[in-house]
Amino acid sequence: MNSLRAASIILGKELRTEFRTRELLTTTVVFVLMVLILFSFTFDPTAEEARRYTPGLLWLAFLFAGSLMLFPSFAREQVNDTLDALRMSPAGSFAIVMGKVLANFAFLTLAEWLMLPVFSVFYDVSVLRVLWQLLLVFALGTFGLALTGTAFSAVAAHARMRELLLPLLLLPLLTPVLIASVEATAGLLAREPQFDVTWVKILAGFDVVFLAASYLVADALVEE
Amino acid sequence: MGRSRQSDAVRMGLAVLVGLLVIAGAYAIFFVAPMEASQREIQRIFYFHVGSAWTAGVAFLIVFIANIGYLSKRAPMWDRLAVSSAEVGLAFCTVVLITGPIWAKPVWGVAWVWDARLTTTAVLWLLYVGYLLLRSFLDDPARRAVASAAFGIFAFLDVPLVYFSIRIWRTQHPQPVIAGGEGSGLDPMMWRVFLFNWVALLGVMALLIWKRYRVEALLREVEELEVEIAWKEADAASRSVLAGQNN
Amino acid sequence: MKNFEFIFAAYTVGWAVFFVYYLTVIRRLGRAEEELQRLKEMLQGK
Repeated sequence: MNSLRAASIILGKELRTEFRTRELLTTTVVFVLMVLILFSFTFDPTAEEARRYTPGLLWLAFLFAGSLMLFPSFAREQVNDTLDALRMSPAGSFAIVMGKVLANFAFLTLAEWLMLPVFSVFYDVSVLRVLWQLLLVFALGTFGLALTGTAFSAVAAHARMRELLLPLLLLPLLTPVLIASVEATAGLLAREPQFDVTWVKILAGFDVVFLAASYLVADALVEE
Repeated sequence: MGRSRQSDAVRMGLAVLVGLLVIAGAYAIFFVAPMEASQREIQRIFYFHVGSAWTAGVAFLIVFIANIGYLSKRAPMWDRLAVSSAEVGLAFCTVVLITGPIWAKPVWGVAWVWDARLTTTAVLWLLYVGYLLLRSFLDDPARRAVASAAFGIFAFLDVPLVYFSIRIWRTQHPQPVIAGGEGSGLDPMMWRVFLFNWVALLGVMALLIWKRYRVEALLREVEELEVEIAWKEADAASRSVLAGQNN
Repeated sequence: MKNFEFIFAAYTVGWAVFFVYYLTVIRRLGRAEEELQRLKEMLQGK
């Protein structure tokens, strides 16, 4: 069976499973919202200096929410040993992993798009004039998050304390994504918007490196 | 599988050799290496701090190779090498993070600076602590080996990305100027003292990894025996159930 | 020697880290050997 087709079938299954309950999506959105609101109490959100911190806080909110949301990706396959069923299908390991990665990418992106207007209102930033560049940065950063998060969900699937382990493993690894996304976003949301391509290159580089790594260890990931 | 006399003797010999190298190295650091112009004596920490950093790097490289080795060959020796090198690497990494601030405080006035090197080391430390934590939370030996190998590969590949993204970030948000830095133009004699000490540290690393590897091998043996005993007990229990049923 | 206490601290604490780590390895070695002995005897008994 063709890998691409296999991955898209699994993507479909993941999307259908999630949309039946929409639990993950709702929880992620609420979590990001909560972080945005709570953070506003730690500094004056409309002051000029605050503008420097708001992109960072947006991305931290995404990363925390994401690392919590990605955990069930492989873990929920354990309940009825459904991973065995997937393994026995003609889909290759990489296709299984990519199907899940793409599904998680879709959920996270959806949550981000829902949050963006709220964020722009809360923190008085104009997103429309830099929308395409912003969405590009979001896409690249979120893909890195979905990719590594899904892989680590597989890695930690059988571990004790796995809910806590996943963010603990994931967040240090995502340092380049955090730095690059925050800097790129800050540039775009500044009074004089700038689009610094260096950061885009770093995000793209991160995605490529870990896409390759996932391909190489895919068997090990699904084997769990 | 007992220890062989020969390997014991080799290890003893190596320990003595490394001990001598360390002592000779220390002498070199304090009495052979020239005095650094601006920092004076405190600069001598550099030999230990940077040497440990390079050694940690070597140890983590060994972990990476062992991870790949395990995923391709699935031989237990790779897994044992991986965990041993990871722990030893983490020990060296800890030394870097401790000696760095001790050096920085008198020289720059602040104990910690968020420059690319120290920050990357901190992230590195977190990643390998994560590696060891992951292992400690996985009980099944096969799963533990596979999962930690996959994570270890990701962690190692991340390091250059972390370093460069922090460096580019730092050039955009400059920190207080760090005069001199750690290796900007090294006097040839200093370089020689540094290399000599680095070899000594590598020797310490090798000894620690070797010892830790042996502990790991023993722990695996213990695990296997526990499984064997569990099987025997289950076997005996089912026999007695059957015997009871036939009466 | 200027800043002597810092140099002293750096080298002693640094090497202490290695010694402490080495001691934990030795301790684990001892416990593993004991456990191995105990299990072997248990197995003989069966």
